[in-house]
Amino acid sequence: MELTRRHILKLTGLGLAGPTLLSACSNDSSSGGGSGDGSVKFEGWDYEAALVQQNLDRFTKNSNVKVNYTPITSAQYVQKVVAEFTGGGGADALYVYDDSLAAWVEGDYLQPLDGMAGVDEVYNAIYPGNAQAMTYDGKRYGLPYYTDATCLTYNAGILAQAGISKPPASLEELEAQALKIKKAGLLEYPIGLPAQLSDTWWSWVWALLFGSGGNMFDDQQNPIMNTSDTVTKDVFAWLQQAATKSKVIDPASLQLLPVPVDNAMKANRYAYTIGARYASRDYNDPAKSKAAGKIRMGLVPSLDGKEHGTVSNTRMYGLAKDTEVKDNAFKLLTYLGGYDDQKQPYTAKFWFLQRGLGFAYKAMVNDPTITAALKKFADPKIYTHLAEIAKPRNVLGVPWYTEFETEMHKVVQGVLSNQTQPSAAVAALAKSAETLKKKYS
Amino acid sequence: MVAFAERRPLGDNAKAWALNAPAIAVIALLVAYPIGYSFYVSLQKNNLKRPRAKRFIGFDNYKALLSDQAFLSALKVSALFVLVVLGLTVVLALILALVLNERFRGRGLLLSLALLPWAMPGVVNGLMWRTIFDAKTGALNGLLQQLGLIESYHAWLTSGTGAFLFTALAQVWNTLPFSVIILLAGLSTIPSELYDAATVDRAGAWRRFTEVTVPWLLHPLLIVLILETMNAFRAFDTIYVLTGGGPGDATTTIALLDVQTVLTFTDFGLGSAYAWVITAITLLISVGYIGLLYRKGNFEV
Repeated sequence: MELTRRHILKLTGLGLAGPTLLSACSNDSSSGGGSGDGSVKFEGWDYEAALVQQNLDRFTKNSNVKVNYTPITSAQYVQKVVAEFTGGGGADALYVYDDSLAAWVEGDYLQPLDGMAGVDEVYNAIYPGNAQAMTYDGKRYGLPYYTDATCLTYNAGILAQAGISKPPASLEELEAQALKIKKAGLLEYPIGLPAQLSDTWWSWVWALLFGSGGNMFDDQQNPIMNTSDTVTKDVFAWLQQAATKSKVIDPASLQLLPVPVDNAMKANRYAYTIGARYASRDYNDPAKSKAAGKIRMGLVPSLDGKEHGTVSNTRMYGLAKDTEVKDNAFKLLTYLGGYDDQKQPYTAKFWFLQRGLGFAYKAMVNDPTITAALKKFADPKIYTHLAEIAKPRNVLGVPWYTEFETEMHKVVQGVLSNQTQPSAAVAALAKSAETLKKKYS
Repeated sequence: MVAFAERRPLGDNAKAWALNAPAIAVIALLVAYPIGYSFYVSLQKNNLKRPRAKRFIGFDNYKALLSDQAFLSALKVSALFVLVVLGLTVVLALILALVLNERFRGRGLLLSLALLPWAMPGVVNGLMWRTIFDAKTGALNGLLQQLGLIESYHAWLTSGTGAFLFTALAQVWNTLPFSVIILLAGLSTIPSELYDAATVDRAGAWRRFTEVTVPWLLHPLLIVLILETMNAFRAFDTIYVLTGGGPGDATTTIALLDVQTVLTFTDFGLGSAYAWVITAITLLISVGYIGLLYRKGNFEV
């Protein structure tokens, strides 16, 4: 067949039609407001997506507001949301990590909730640490999804076998108890920590610092770990000693992500770890854990043996700045993170009862249903006390937080593997913070 | 109708352009444009976390690399990684290719087995080696303990040197088959008369290898060197899964740092500059290889 200009024009036409056809087949990213029926485009990381959908169906049934829910894989959540908002097709309402809030506000993705119905009421009812974590530059941007405080988790059964009757109050005591367990031949490495490099924050490092009354930054986010605050250095020194001298911290920690540590706790292979309170629910579930009934939570041991505090994290629901269905999206936010018609935080309660996720509402601990469920895996008094003394990282509001957290992981790995001395570690962290501040200024 | 029928068909040159135009358009759209755009982005201060601070800054991102400790450290790790991986790959691939070039029973099976790792995606390769090196249940620990070489299980990936060497080993295992294929193809083109003649001249096995085999293998080796250098320099998935770049900075290569900078820190400007530096370095090394080895063989191509 001879190729003529007519043939070429036809082929070109087909070529041009191709992308149009493809785009017609694609999923329209501007649903929600763009779809015109008032439906809300809602996104979250993929934790228990079926339960989320179940809860959303209830909302739709009660409110008549349709919700298009998209679960996004946790590992890619931040990146995908950023890509969507950058491309102009973000959700109307979405999950927000406390450590993403500042960047997403600066990026014009979210709008403040101040002045909207019921927001003040929610903020008055939650723990101050959670309220602080959802506030940026004096404005409130979220309603609480769940929260947690980091605690010492220990296996009372193993402690009892070693003749230990109460959990350690100081780090020195923790090391001594672990050594006793080690010498009794019960465990070679009684303490396990998730210390493999990853994109998630290392709550246990912050908990150890806050647990001893220290901090790495002052209120103006200036690094103090190498100057006025010596706690970081002392905690690092303890970590190094426990990992490389007394050898009570498992060296394999550097290869462990949180899930393998959970599995080891459930298999009675560690006596102690430092992590989220809600993990104890699984640890004490006979269907999932050999250690069920023996796992307890305690305050994070400190350098001086006194009680100072711990770290909290907050996951929240945020409202997109450019949503076209603001009223419906806020209705959804209120249902998920606020009070219902009976003045109950329905969804917060739903998540605690279903999966043990921590709640931000102070009064929930007095709810008999909650207390009964809580008693199955924790001492309500300690659980509540941890929430009361927990505070968020004061460096969450800086745009370079993620970079700093990543750098901190590397430095702590160096400390645990004896490649970096504590004084060099804090100096490296301070330098890193200064460099990042300069870079983002 | 007559006018249409009488139109001249396109000339050969025009036909060639017309036929290639779709491919050129697709390549321009999917390859040239993103590459060009990434260079444009590398000239910007462009962090998605701070869209309002986005601006053109010329070569500032590149200048900043000179004092960027993370970059310099990653560059050093990458260079060492390339050296170790390349050295091991070339030596092992050459040995394996020489063995597989011989006729013996079971050669086909061995050849299939030797090629198997190449079919494995990098992430799967990383997961497999992570299981093997596991401090609690790893096969390596089990094997060494059963052989009586260690008393208790070790956490192999927790020391800087250990993590680096084991990661390099995992990378070599994954990419070795490709080099074997290239070298095996090169070996099969060497005329047997050359070996016969060398044997008549009383050349021993070593001299036959250095005087006949190696010169004939220079071009396949060149391909192996270029491609394996690129592979090792861009190595990401295996390292990410095995160590995540740790402990500390011990296995943080420039590719890993680049992915982290772009996807975790959302710093597209700096990340694009990293990517261009990786490209420039691999290009320079490739040109160096070509200058060193091309036309150095004892034959004409």
